[in-house]
Amino acid sequence: MPDIVRAEDLDIKQIFLLLATPGNMRERNIQVIKELSTLGYHSVVITTNFPYSILKKMYEESGVDLTKVSFVDTVTHHSIGKVENIRGVVRYINSPADLTDMGIAVTEVLKEQRTGEKVCILYDSISTMLIYLSSPSISKFIHFLTNKLRLMDISGIFLAAEKGLDPMLMNQLITFVDKVIETG
Amino acid sequence: MGTRKPKDSNSCIEEGILDNALAMIAVLEKNGRIRTWNHAAEMITGYSRNDVVGSTEVWKLLYPDKNYRDSITEKISAILSTKNYFENFETIIRTKSGESRIILWNTKKITDSDPQRTIAVGLDVTEFRNADLFRESIIENANILIAVLDKENVRIWNKAAETITGYLRDEVIGKRDVWKRLYPDVGYRRTITRQIMDIIGKNRFFENFETTIVTKSGEKKIITWNTRQIGTGEAHLDIAIGLDITARKQAEEALISYMTEMAMRLKGPVEVIRDNLSDVTKLTRERKLEPLEIALILDTQIRNADQIAQNVQEFQRAIAEKHQEIPEAYRKFLAGE
Repeated sequence: MPDIVRAEDLDIKQIFLLLATPGNMRERNIQVIKELSTLGYHSVVITTNFPYSILKKMYEESGVDLTKVSFVDTVTHHSIGKVENIRGVVRYINSPADLTDMGIAVTEVLKEQRTGEKVCILYDSISTMLIYLSSPSISKFIHFLTNKLRLMDISGIFLAAEKGLDPMLMNQLITFVDKVIETG
Repeated sequence: MGTRKPKDSNSCIEEGILDNALAMIAVLEKNGRIRTWNHAAEMITGYSRNDVVGSTEVWKLLYPDKNYRDSITEKISAILSTKNYFENFETIIRTKSGESRIILWNTKKITDSDPQRTIAVGLDVTEFRNADLFRESIIENANILIAVLDKENVRIWNKAAETITGYLRDEVIGKRDVWKRLYPDVGYRRTITRQIMDIIGKNRFFENFETTIVTKSGEKKIITWNTRQIGTGEAHLDIAIGLDITARKQAEEALISYMTEMAMRLKGPVEVIRDNLSDVTKLTRERKLEPLEIALILDTQIRNADQIAQNVQEFQRAIAEKHQEIPEAYRKFLAGE
């Protein structure tokens, strides 16, 4: 299996929209994190789909070094109630629809990274966000996030189900990212 | 066998002309006394020649309102002070049966008569005028833009045209530059002009031709045009009818965009739930998940499904609220008709 994201593109802090068939979304998530880990990147995973505890387990099984992964979990708090943030590991927010909290959490997690460390965020996924938010709201948030990443000189990968986004949203997202990668 | 005298023959011809004419013909003395009153005059006014010949009283009967009678007497005096005839002078008479008729008068002085006499010809234009008024009323009150154009200029610009474009008829009538103002973009104007010429070259008219105009206030409006040619040759007129479909188009676009958004927010998320559940099944079979972890994932999927159900309700509510704005075809589609 060839690399999903090229190391040289990550080096120049590019931002990607990664499209996968709905059935391959979880697998692509794990592959990307594995690749980033191999390339020495610290990954910040913003998950709106699988809870942190499950993702952690899957990454471990795939041989990912968990010290190189932090999470912003938008799923667990709503399901099991009160959960404690673990500095440098996971921050929980109430709901995937709470974009203000999500923006703050991402900013805080990025601040926790060591100076000089190569960092890349993985946003999983835009498709799940559509359950909770309208496409204009999602578009605005992704715009905000990509701007933040460019200002902080950090790479980013946004995962979405292929053929699941309407042409208008797709066109907007394409203008925010440097490359669209279709992985099947 | 007697021979007819030429004078008698002329009299017969004159009488024949007078009585078979469709216009009122009256011969008047200088003071307005009637000398001749033809059959058409009898038919139009209801007053017989016995009622009117030798008298001036008929004018009071035809113009019973003193103020109106004075006003037309004044006008006639004014015209006759500069020339000895008048042309196409319009008055409204009251007939014997009380009906109003519009008469277009032309007069001519009979030069070789002594005493001096005038021949007055009155054409009953009531039906033409009523037809004109009816046509004007339809044009004025239509809620579609109606413009009539001759080769060079705009001849008619109705109230709806003023409302839709913002340009008043004074700014448009007799001019040809309104199209430049409605299509200020040179490229767009050229494109639509070319398309119009192509269509007219084939059909002499066009139907449901859509353009976007810029109104006087700078607003963009979508107009669908239909044209017809009146008459032929150099003297023909073109009638252009424009229907403002901006609101309908916007409603259609808004609805399509809303439906697309909702389709995206239903189809994609349902697939997400399906695939998450499929993952849970697989991981459970592989004994990679603890019961609490399974419960956590299922909880998340329940919440997702719950949210999708709310989204569907929101969609239904929005459809109900927007019901009147939704074009008929879409309403039927949504209602499953």
